Amino acid sequence: MHTAPLRIVIVGGGSAGWMCAAACAQVLDPARYSVTLIESDDIGTVGVGEATLPALQDFNKLLQIDEAQFMRETQGTFKLGIEFRGWDRPGQSYLHPFGAFGQLWGGVEFQHFWLRARQLGLDPPPFEEFSSAVRACARNAFEFPDTHSVRSTFYGYAYHFDAGLYAEFLREWARARGVSRVEGQVVDVALDEQGDVRTLTLKSGQQVSGDFFVDCSGFRSLLLGEKLGVAWEDWTDWLPCDRAWAVPCERSADFTPFTRSTAQKGGWVWRIPLQHRTGNGHVFSTKFIGEDEARSTLLASLDGRALGEPRLLKFRAGRRVQPWKRNCLAIGLASGFLEPLESTSLFLIQKAIQDMLRLLPTPEARGVDERLVGEFNRRSDELYERIRDFLILHYTANRRFGEPLWDHVRQYELPESLRHKLRLFDVRGHVPYFKDGFFSRDSWLAVLFGQGLMPKGYDRLADFMAREQLDAKLRDLHARVWAEVSAMPLHEDVVARYCSESRFRQAAS
Amino acid sequence: MINHVVIVGRDAPLWLSANVVQFALGPAGVTVTAVELPPHAQPADVCVTLPAIEPLHTRLRIDEGRLIAGTRGAFTLGRRFVDTGGRTPAFFHAHGSNGSRIDEKEFLPHWVRARRQGLDAPFEEFSLTAAAASAGRMLLPDAAIDRFGFTDYGYHLPAIPYAAWLRQVALRRGVRHHWTGHLDVRLEDHGGIAELLLEGDRRVSGDLFLDVTGAEALLMNALEIGRESWRDSFAVDRVMSAHAAPVSPVPIYSEIRAHARGWLAMVASQVCIHVQHAYSSDLAPGPAELAAAAGIPLQGVVVRERHPGRRQRAWEKNCVAIGDAACVFDPMHFVDLHAVQAGLVHLLPLFPVQHDFSVERDEYNQNVRSAFERLRDFQSAHYLLNRYGDSAFWARGRAVAPSAALAHKIDAFRARGECVDYEDEAFTIDEWQSLFIGHGVVPESCDPAVDRTTPDMLQGELARIRGFIRQKVGEQRTHADYLREVSQIGGRVSGA
Repeated sequence: MHTAPLRIVIVGGGSAGWMCAAACAQVLDPARYSVTLIESDDIGTVGVGEATLPALQDFNKLLQIDEAQFMRETQGTFKLGIEFRGWDRPGQSYLHPFGAFGQLWGGVEFQHFWLRARQLGLDPPPFEEFSSAVRACARNAFEFPDTHSVRSTFYGYAYHFDAGLYAEFLREWARARGVSRVEGQVVDVALDEQGDVRTLTLKSGQQVSGDFFVDCSGFRSLLLGEKLGVAWEDWTDWLPCDRAWAVPCERSADFTPFTRSTAQKGGWVWRIPLQHRTGNGHVFSTKFIGEDEARSTLLASLDGRALGEPRLLKFRAGRRVQPWKRNCLAIGLASGFLEPLESTSLFLIQKAIQDMLRLLPTPEARGVDERLVGEFNRRSDELYERIRDFLILHYTANRRFGEPLWDHVRQYELPESLRHKLRLFDVRGHVPYFKDGFFSRDSWLAVLFGQGLMPKGYDRLADFMAREQLDAKLRDLHARVWAEVSAMPLHEDVVARYCSESRFRQAAS
Repeated sequence: MINHVVIVGRDAPLWLSANVVQFALGPAGVTVTAVELPPHAQPADVCVTLPAIEPLHTRLRIDEGRLIAGTRGAFTLGRRFVDTGGRTPAFFHAHGSNGSRIDEKEFLPHWVRARRQGLDAPFEEFSLTAAAASAGRMLLPDAAIDRFGFTDYGYHLPAIPYAAWLRQVALRRGVRHHWTGHLDVRLEDHGGIAELLLEGDRRVSGDLFLDVTGAEALLMNALEIGRESWRDSFAVDRVMSAHAAPVSPVPIYSEIRAHARGWLAMVASQVCIHVQHAYSSDLAPGPAELAAAAGIPLQGVVVRERHPGRRQRAWEKNCVAIGDAACVFDPMHFVDLHAVQAGLVHLLPLFPVQHDFSVERDEYNQNVRSAFERLRDFQSAHYLLNRYGDSAFWARGRAVAPSAALAHKIDAFRARGECVDYEDEAFTIDEWQSLFIGHGVVPESCDPAVDRTTPDMLQGELARIRGFIRQKVGEQRTHADYLREVSQIGGRVSGA
């Protein structure tokens, strides 16, 4: 029985397009699926210095990509978390680590013991000092989490890298595995009589037909938005930032194993350390600050000489209400945008690709199965809403009084789901739990405590421990975290040894 | 502070609740008073547990061996579903994984693909847990089994001795106790519960009350909290319980037999076979039909009404309903004790820290509602998807409208074998797979990720899995030996 392969056509060649193409090439049977990616050299991609979440390791493992090679080719560095400077109020900062605060004792979450110790007047060390990742960041240190079998507190890591280089890396990887690349700009999208996308016409006149289309065309959302007319749901009332200036600068001595996000009058500035330079950008809202002022703010914030002129990016927060409609599925900016405050851009892309691969039509049943479309869209909605709530949390709990943007975000009406979570934390230090671990309890704790919120009570399940024992256990854990972190090598040394290009060249010659 | 909890009820749910609250919150200065009403449990009654009870018992430091010895209960590795009409093959729903990963991918899509290529083996043939159950052997994981998949077990605990066991543990640990044949509830001015009036002019007051009085829901009814009836979703309105002579060896699974006018569950303990018969009163089988379905002489017959439905709010004012008082389930899949556990486990991390606990209450009501609805959906699926013929009873089951969540779950499974995993599921993905496939829902397509596994590799791996199952089942102890062994070592471990 021979069935013709199902033709997958990916429109757009940024991170989303090439991640999708590479995953298809790795997972799908080439006898059953063909993969073509259309990209235009004339259309720039948004790719700048990219900060990621630990889940990207799973994606690279799926592709069986060697970590050191990947980091070398994308100028990658390690990331243990994100530092938020001035988000609560100017001069204050906190870290959101990829890892746990403390440990579960008797099955009870750590924050309750810490809160209890505080109420008992035991004067415990600051909450964030019970995280190995946070303390490693304070030293610019890094070590692979599995180096020792016993760790005082669990942590994971992600990467910073150059998104343009990552797309190039995946392009080579995917093309070597049978993905066809077609150069050209899509000028027309033709539907068939049922309303499915059928044929794309390029500027050159070339036509590309397919059975299943992945729209990775960026904000334009060429297929899903423009052609199939899927509506945009606007979230700018909650997340008002709509522009970013981006500029790289020379690498500075401060080689952090974390992303830095610094709150500014009209938004925030990111700082992403790469091997060859530092990526910077200023996300801001034109409702509260002009483009020129934002540009100056960005340039003034650099800790190295700017490499080139800042580029302006325009966006808006929100999403397409149906990321998959008919035989067209949008991934990346074509399906939605949330500002990169928690480095979720590639994570959203990765999740969409993983779900798509499981729910994709088969060559035998080419028609799109609405039952599977429904499941994809359900998962996507859930993820977008959870990330949205978590991002809003960073803004809403600020004490930057007198700055119009920050006054605005502090005062607007929150989604009920988030308001309820804030009340639960306020009353008793309770944080939400999601089965898929996203965002984790520890992430919520990092931001809630970091934004200066302090619960009035704690879970009484923590009362089982005697006062003296509680005091001793906290001090012991605190000391162990510090002892372990003190022995960690510096981030710059690990990167130089593990994945730097110069080391690689030396070794090769 | 909320420091005095009064738990009103009877039977195992009362004493499980008392133990959990006392153990978790006693150290925080919470005192627990149990107000015990006359028991309803009969010798025929049995608590069939899900695997989740074992870690709860462990946290309560209840020793498994002593419990089994003390209640003369048994282990269970799952349920076997039999069509006495012979229309459809019997199937197993085991408390373990189906198959094992092949080529680093999930098992189910490989099985679907192998079937297309001519494989004629039932799904359960690849379940190690089901194979052990069929062979009458306990299954204890070793490193190789852990790599192969996961396996778990529940219990069949005769209800009267289980309650007595929990009661004794609770009293020894300092739970205060009142017995009363009758109860009145006095409300506060603002509508909460002020105190309970017991026989002999005794009064019991507290800060928080748990209503574990079963379907009567004495406290929730005093607070006038209505119910959302699930009558339209479930045809069963009567459950007959009876017991029959024990069999040897004691089966390590329960059997659920569908017949034209309902279904019959056979649950084995060391004491007896506990028989439950679920049916619709307007379609009740005659005694002869029933005897034929059971196939063994029945004793101690009790018939009870059953009206499934969920209390609109499980926590209202200063009263939390636990178990049947919060939600009455259909008897299918024996979820009653699990619902008690779910009610308690959701309560502990939200136990009030101050007198205004409206936030905790809202959160709790939302969480248990979701947990109860997912349990209900698992039961619903069993009726909706049945292929047990055209009798009025089973036709009713098929005619029921599923919840939107369940409808979508069935759709996605039928289309792709994709198991939609909602936030508050009690049953594992593997259990859902067994249920769907057992009822003949075979996915129409499978995850494209398995396409690249060559047919030779697939055949080889399926053979390897069968070989592993054969070998591992052969290595296990029989249920009878295991029961003897744990009953003897029980007590050496620190415990109740």
